Amino acid sequence: MVEKIKAELKATFADLAIAEESYPQSGYHLSVDLTAKDILNVARFFDGRGFYLAVELCVDYKDYLEIVYIFSIHSSLCKVKATLKLDPVQPVAPTLSGIFDCAYWYEREIREFYGVLFDGHPNMTYLFLHEGIDFYPLRKDRVPVSEQDKQELNSYSPEQREDSLSINMGPQHPSTHGVLRVVLRMDGEYIEDASPVLGYLHRMQEKMAENRTYQQFLPNTGRMDYLGAMSFNLGYVTAVERLTGIDVPARAHYVRVIATELNRISSHLLWVGAYLADLGGLSPFLYVFDDREHILDVLEAVTGSRLTYCYFRFGGLYNDVDDAFVLGTKAFVARMRGRFSLYEKLVGGNVIFINRTRGIGVIAKERARKYAVSGPVLRGAGIGMDLRKAEPYAAYPEMDFEVPTGKNGDALDMYHVRVKEMETSLDIIDQALALLADGPFMVEKAPKKLKPRKGDLYHVVETPRGELGIYIVSDESDKPYRMKWRVPSFSNLMAFPELAKGNLLSDAVAILGSLDLVIPEIDR
Amino acid sequence: MNKVLDLARANSLWPVTFGLACCAIEMMSAAMARFDIDRFGAGVFRPSPRQADLMIVSGTVTKKMAPVVLTLYDQMPSPKWVIAMGNCAISGGPFVFEGQYNLIEGVDKLIPVDVYVPGCPPRPEGLLEGFLKLQEKITGKRRFPGPVERW
Repeated sequence: MVEKIKAELKATFADLAIAEESYPQSGYHLSVDLTAKDILNVARFFDGRGFYLAVELCVDYKDYLEIVYIFSIHSSLCKVKATLKLDPVQPVAPTLSGIFDCAYWYEREIREFYGVLFDGHPNMTYLFLHEGIDFYPLRKDRVPVSEQDKQELNSYSPEQREDSLSINMGPQHPSTHGVLRVVLRMDGEYIEDASPVLGYLHRMQEKMAENRTYQQFLPNTGRMDYLGAMSFNLGYVTAVERLTGIDVPARAHYVRVIATELNRISSHLLWVGAYLADLGGLSPFLYVFDDREHILDVLEAVTGSRLTYCYFRFGGLYNDVDDAFVLGTKAFVARMRGRFSLYEKLVGGNVIFINRTRGIGVIAKERARKYAVSGPVLRGAGIGMDLRKAEPYAAYPEMDFEVPTGKNGDALDMYHVRVKEMETSLDIIDQALALLADGPFMVEKAPKKLKPRKGDLYHVVETPRGELGIYIVSDESDKPYRMKWRVPSFSNLMAFPELAKGNLLSDAVAILGSLDLVIPEIDR
Repeated sequence: MNKVLDLARANSLWPVTFGLACCAIEMMSAAMARFDIDRFGAGVFRPSPRQADLMIVSGTVTKKMAPVVLTLYDQMPSPKWVIAMGNCAISGGPFVFEGQYNLIEGVDKLIPVDVYVPGCPPRPEGLLEGFLKLQEKITGKRRFPGPVERW
């Protein structure tokens, strides 16, 4: 696949600088240097071959700004990094939002954090930030926002029409699970247009990452996605291990998988409860929290915390697991297997639930690709991509498990996918427990001061909500030069306006819930 | 007469359903079967601030969120109380660093806070203790025995 794409790229664009990269080191196969006139054609080239735009980000190298595009494909393993250099004084780039819908938000993000203007972008206004911030936060030098830019950034106001009504859903709303605000334009009971407003919980994580060492940033990962904290932990430590070349002992790998899968189950359980509570069924909430507390007991005993875990270290684990952990996990697995029939009776077979979710929020495969949605939402749409299988990390290459997919891509399918994923997680835990052998849980000489190699890395892991991509640029110091978090909920939420359009207001809650959003992860 | 009213208020605190960040999950845990906040009469979470008399600020307050928190507080009828749950709401917690641009370092810069519950996030027991402290503040005496001091 990589060879084929490379040959086709060369044939189509004769004057492009295409380089082959080492995938184990950098996380992508090809890198392409672009000029502003090529970028649209290159994007169309990848669009035509079924690629999706995994992330679009910006790095400030002081002499120039660099826009980085990562193209990836669902059906096989082929990643391409395309870069575009910009002038730091007046940065202007062509927009990709006409080709890949997900670029629409990424470009707004780059605009407010770096001041890059995207030519032809329909809406260059604040997404995360607000007018109280008078400089571009992620620029290395302090670059003030000019009055004219501020006015332009602040010019967004929801469109008002004579015959329609604007409703604010959030930021304080019980069913947005945090501080998300969605401005809905209504025609009677039907939604004409929905536009999410983000940034109510923007905690400057990417700025923080540049200010502290790799180790010091570790606790932040658990606070980004607090429901899937283990997955974020795992993603971060595996990324940094890949960058610095630390090997991890086998026992640590298995424990990592067990802990991450337990955390995945607790995250999906909470989703089932919260989603049903959104739809008006409050009793499942009590059942799932009961099950969840059993997981928390097991994890708390080894990690020391109930929610925002920081269990993994570069080169292993914080401490070893004991027999009580193994027994507790086994007991939980046995208990959980017996609970699925209960959930089937309580939720899956419930007529009210089925009627409220069937045919609601249907996302087609093609649209899912354009929005770069991932995780259970993507699998619900029928594309069976799971990064644990596609790009295995930790001990996942040895695990044998199914990837559940849906048929219709509606909210009901996403429920079934998540429930089946809990079952596969139990299978994985069983296998990992069987393989867990004695041995060290930490490399013997874990370096106190990390020495990463120079260069960049795009590392992905599968979190309970989908593809987490971590893009790190290292300048060989023990602090990252730039760290970008490509978070799954962000791209999943991007699809919401399209899914909600034409639906009833009450169904908007059902659609928003089915995407399983965690707001601090979106806002970072 | 006021004493009777205070007793009634302390034992039926109605919190507003207002989750900000990670701490909100522990707040939900506290309301569920194992920790059961209902035992102390504070389990009636109201989605509307107009029906509530207690605000649990459970998470980081950013500059963009600050006006919303203020509005919610103003919408609550008096007498009303505030619990700052977690380090973020107390002082900005782990997200304070030199050059930060989007954080309110402590919700007490915006609204008066009655009880602070430290932790990142606090355990549900911590939140329950916070409730007992608030009840003590309202009525003037503690209803349940406090934790044993061991250290």
